[in-house]
Amino acid sequence: MTDGDRLNLQEEGRKVLTAFYGALSALKLYPLENAAVQQALDELHGLVERIVYLEGGAEVRVVGDFFFLNETRLRLDLSNFATFGSFARAFQDHGIGAVEVRPGVTRSEWAPFLSILLSKPGGEDPFLTFMERLASTPVQSLDLRPEKEVAEPETDEEALTAAKRTYAQSVQIAKDALGDVRLGKAVNVRKVKRAVQGIVDQVLSNETSMVTMTTLRDFDEYTFTHCVNVCIFSVIIGQRLGLEKLHLYELGLGALFHDIGKQRVDVDVINKPGGLTEEEWAQLKQHPTEGLLVLFKLHGFADVPYRQMLIAYEHHMKLDLTGYPENKHEREPTLFSRIVSVADAFDAGTSVRSYQYHPWPPDTVLREMRDNPRRGFDPLLVKALITATGVYPIGTLVILDTHELAVVSDVNKDPELLHRPRVKVISDPLGVPLTEAITLDLAQDDPATGGPARSIIKTTDPQKYGIRVSDYLT
Amino acid sequence: MTELESTAGGAAEETAGWSDLSDVPVAQVRELFVVLGKAFRAYQLYDENNPVRQRFVESLRQAFEGMWTELDRLTLAVDEDRIFLVGQEVYKVDSRSDSLAFLFFKDGVREITFLPGIEGDELVRFLGVLQRARKLLPEGDDLLTVLWEEDLQHFQYQYVDFLAEGVELPSPGEGATTQQLQGVLGGELAEEEEEEAPAPSSTQTADQAPTSTVSREDFNPTLYSLDPREMETLRTELHKELHRDTRGDVLSALFDRLEEEDRPDRQSEILGVLGTLLPNFLSRGALKAATRVLEELRKLESMPGVFDEERLAQSRELLDRVSAPEAISELIQALYDGSIRSTPQQLAVFLRFMRAGALSPLLRAAETVEHKELRAVLRSAVHGIAERNRGAVVRLLDEPDPVIASGAARLAGDIQIAEAGPSLAGLLAHADPSVRLAAVEAAVSLKASTAAGALQHTLDDPERDVRIAAARALGTLRYGPAGDRLAEILDSREIRAADISEKVAFFESYGMVAGDGAVRALDKLLNGKGFLGKREPSEIRAAAALGLGKVGSGAARTALNKALDEEDPVVRTAVNRALRSE
Repeated sequence: MTDGDRLNLQEEGRKVLTAFYGALSALKLYPLENAAVQQALDELHGLVERIVYLEGGAEVRVVGDFFFLNETRLRLDLSNFATFGSFARAFQDHGIGAVEVRPGVTRSEWAPFLSILLSKPGGEDPFLTFMERLASTPVQSLDLRPEKEVAEPETDEEALTAAKRTYAQSVQIAKDALGDVRLGKAVNVRKVKRAVQGIVDQVLSNETSMVTMTTLRDFDEYTFTHCVNVCIFSVIIGQRLGLEKLHLYELGLGALFHDIGKQRVDVDVINKPGGLTEEEWAQLKQHPTEGLLVLFKLHGFADVPYRQMLIAYEHHMKLDLTGYPENKHEREPTLFSRIVSVADAFDAGTSVRSYQYHPWPPDTVLREMRDNPRRGFDPLLVKALITATGVYPIGTLVILDTHELAVVSDVNKDPELLHRPRVKVISDPLGVPLTEAITLDLAQDDPATGGPARSIIKTTDPQKYGIRVSDYLT
Repeated sequence: MTELESTAGGAAEETAGWSDLSDVPVAQVRELFVVLGKAFRAYQLYDENNPVRQRFVESLRQAFEGMWTELDRLTLAVDEDRIFLVGQEVYKVDSRSDSLAFLFFKDGVREITFLPGIEGDELVRFLGVLQRARKLLPEGDDLLTVLWEEDLQHFQYQYVDFLAEGVELPSPGEGATTQQLQGVLGGELAEEEEEEAPAPSSTQTADQAPTSTVSREDFNPTLYSLDPREMETLRTELHKELHRDTRGDVLSALFDRLEEEDRPDRQSEILGVLGTLLPNFLSRGALKAATRVLEELRKLESMPGVFDEERLAQSRELLDRVSAPEAISELIQALYDGSIRSTPQQLAVFLRFMRAGALSPLLRAAETVEHKELRAVLRSAVHGIAERNRGAVVRLLDEPDPVIASGAARLAGDIQIAEAGPSLAGLLAHADPSVRLAAVEAAVSLKASTAAGALQHTLDDPERDVRIAAARALGTLRYGPAGDRLAEILDSREIRAADISEKVAFFESYGMVAGDGAVRALDKLLNGKGFLGKREPSEIRAAAALGLGKVGSGAARTALNKALDEEDPVVRTAVNRALRSE
C-alpha cells in the first residue's frame, strides 16, 4: 500500500455509515429495481470495497454509544448524529453488534442484507432470527456478531464508577477553586483544567454515565455541583455541534468558571432563601462582570482566557440582549456563552437551590426554554440539548400508563424516538417500591397491539415522593 | 489517559505479559532510548528544517520500526530518574534537566506505552510534546495537560493524579419506602383523571411542586429535532465562533463597565486590567486592539462625570505609560523586527494617542528609519505630538543624543516654536555638526533674532556645510549686524580657498545683509582690476555677481551690466543669472 492509498478511516467510516443509511432509506421507500436504490447500493459497495481492499477487511461495530470502523471510533456531529442514531437502532433491534465485511464481497450481497435489516425483528432472540433469514440468501462475505459479543469498552458499572470519580473530583476541585477566589487565594488552575479534561473524556467515552451524575443533587453543595453540571451539559451540547476535543475543553473550562463572579457577591445574598431585595438583586446581577474580572486575575492559562471571560460575562444575556449586564457597545453573545446559558438554565431550573425549593421537572424546563421566547435562549441550542438529553432527560421521575413510577435512565439514540427513553421502574402501579428497579426500553412496542408497550403519561416531582432519583441511577 | 491509584507503582511489570524474561529485548529498548535521548536533544537545539534534527528523528523512527518486529507494544515503568522494562533499567540520565524519566515522573506519569504507529506522523508530535513540557512554567500547564491536548493515539500513559486525592465517591441511598410512594402516587393519579393538567407556566409559585402531563408535542420530532437547515445554521455559527475576535468582545465589556461612574473601585480594577492588557496587545502585534484601548480611554476621559480625580489620574497614567520612551522603543523595535505588522494607517492612528514621553524615541526613529513609508508615518506622528507638547520639544533640544537634538531643532523650526530660539542659539555651539546644521536651519525657519547673533559665530564653523547654512541663514534673515563680519570673510584667504558653493553662499549672504552697502565692494571684485591690471579669479567674480544679484538695486544692476560682455563664461553666466534674479 502506498502513502497515497492510506485511508482516513474517520472520514471513510462516516461516509460508509451515511451510505448504509442512504441505502436503507432508499430500500424502505422504493423497490429494488428503482434507480435511487441501485445508486445507493453502488455507492455503499464502492466505499466498502475500497476499505476492504486497503485494510484487508472492514468491520463496523456499535459499542455502547459509539460506532467503530475497524479500530477507529467515529466522531458524531451535527451532520451525522441522526443518521448514526437510526443506523444504531436498526442494529440494536436485530441484536447485531458488528458486521464484518470480508474480501471478495460482491455488490449483490448488500440488498438481501439490508432488506433483512429493514424487516421486523423476530423471535425471542432477534439476532438468531436474523442469522436464519440471512442463511437463506446468497450473502457470503458478511460476518455478523451479536450485540452481546461485541466487547464494551467498559461495563455500565465501570463507566458509572469512572463517571462518579470524575464527578466527585470535579466537584471537589470546583469547591476548592471557588473557595480560593472568595478567600482571595491563588486558584490552582491546573487542577481545574484537569477536572475539565476528565469531564470531556468521560462525556466522549460514556455520555450517559456523566449525565447520570448530574442527577446527584445536593442542596448544600449546589454552587459547586451546579458548576460541574453546567460544564457537563455544555460539553454535551458542544459535542452535538461537532466541536473538536480541544474546543470542548475550552467550552468546558468556561462553563466550570461561568459563575466564578458569585464569589465576589455576599454569601448571604447567594444563599438567601426566598426573594431578594432590590439591592441584593442588584448585587447579584454584578456577578457576570465580577466573573470576567476574576478570570483576569487567575494565573495558569497559556493565554488570556478571553472566551472563558465572555462566557462568565454573557451567560445571563438573552438573545435580544436583554438580561444582564447591560450593553453600551455593540454585542452579540458568543456561541459558547449561549451554550453555557442554556446549560446553566437547564441545570438551575431542575435543581433545588436557595430560592427554588421545588425544581421543575426536566422536561418542563426544556419545554419552557424551547417554547418561551421571553426566556431568551437560543432555540437551536435548546434543541441541541434536547437531542442529547431526550425529551425526558435522565433523572426525570415519570408515571407510566401502567401507573408505575419510573426514573428515566437513558436517552433513546434514535432521534425520532427521543420521547421514548429507557427507564428504571421503581414502583408497581400501587406505589409499592420494587426491591430492584427494572430497566425498560420505552421504545419497545407491544407485539400484540403494535403500539408502545408502555408510555409516559406524566412527569412529576421527586420531592413530592421524598425520593432522590440518583439513588436509582448511581 | 488512565489514572492510576497511588499505590499502583509496578503496573508495567504486571502488564508487560512476558512469560520468559530472557525474551525481553532489553538491549534493543536501551538502544531505542539512546536514540530517543538524542532526538530529544536535537529537538531542543535545532530548528524544524535543520538536517541534523531530521536525521535524529529519522533514526528514532527506524528504531521504533525495528522494535515492532520484537514487540506488539512497548510498556515501561517510570521512576524518578530511570525507566524500566519489566524491571530492567533501560534508561538513566543523571542530569534531571535532560532526563526524560524525570520529565514524566515529576508530573505523575508512572507508566508509558508506545504502540506501533508511533513512528508515523505522531513521532514528531510526541517529540514536540516533550519539548513543550520541558519549557512549561511551574504555574502553567503540566505534561499531563500537554499530553491530553495532543491526544496521541500511539502513546499511552498512566499517572498518579495528586490533585484529586482523598475525594469520596458518591454512593446511592436506599430509595423510597412504600409509605412514601403510595399516598402521593394515588393522589396524583386521581388528579390526573379529574382534569387535564394545565400547561406549565412561569407564574407557578416557588412552593408548588410542579408536574407535567405529557403533551402531544412531545411526540412531534420537528419540535425537538434539528432539521438540516437548522444544523447548517449552527455549523455557520460554529465557524463564526471559532474565528471571532473574542479580545474585542472582552474590551467592549470592560469599557461598558468602565463607564459606570458609580463604581469607582471597579473602574480602578478595570483600568488595572487595561494596564496589563496593553503591553500584552503590543507584544502580540495587536496594534488595533491597543489603539482601541487608547481611543476609548480618551473618550471616557472627556465624558464629564465618568471618572473622578483619582480614576482620571489613573487613566492618564496608563496613557503616559504607553507613551514612555521604553514602551515606544519597544514598539519601534517590534516594527523593525516585524513582530508588529501594521499598515501605516493603523500605526498612524495608534501614534495619534501618544503623549510627550513618546516624542524622544519617536523622533529618533523618525530621523533614522530607512523605510520611507514608515518614516513618513513616524514624522507625521512626531509632528502631531510636538504640536500638542511644544514645551517638550524645547526640552529635547538639550538632549545629549545628537540625533534627537537635531531632530528637535528641525521640529522646532517646522512647527515654529518661537520659544526655542535661545536653545537653538546654544545648539549652534554643539559638538556635533549635524546638530549645529539643524539649529541653523531651524533658526532660519523661526526667523529667530535670538539665534541670529549666535549665527555670526557659526560663519567660522569648522564644518563647511554649517558655514554655508549659517551664511544663507544670515542672508535670509537679512541680519544687518552680520554685514561687517561677512565683509571681512569675503576679504579673507579662507573664502578664496573655499569651493564655489561656499563662495556663492557668502557673497549672496553679504548682498542680502548689506544691501546697497555691498555694491561697491562687490562691483570692485567683479569688474575691478587689481595690481598689474589683473582681474580677480573667475569664481570670486562669479560669486560677486550673484551677490550683486541678491542686492537687486539699480546700482547693483549697473555693476552687473558692466560685466555683460565678459568673455569668461563662468562670470558671464553668473552675471546673467544675477540679472534675471534667479
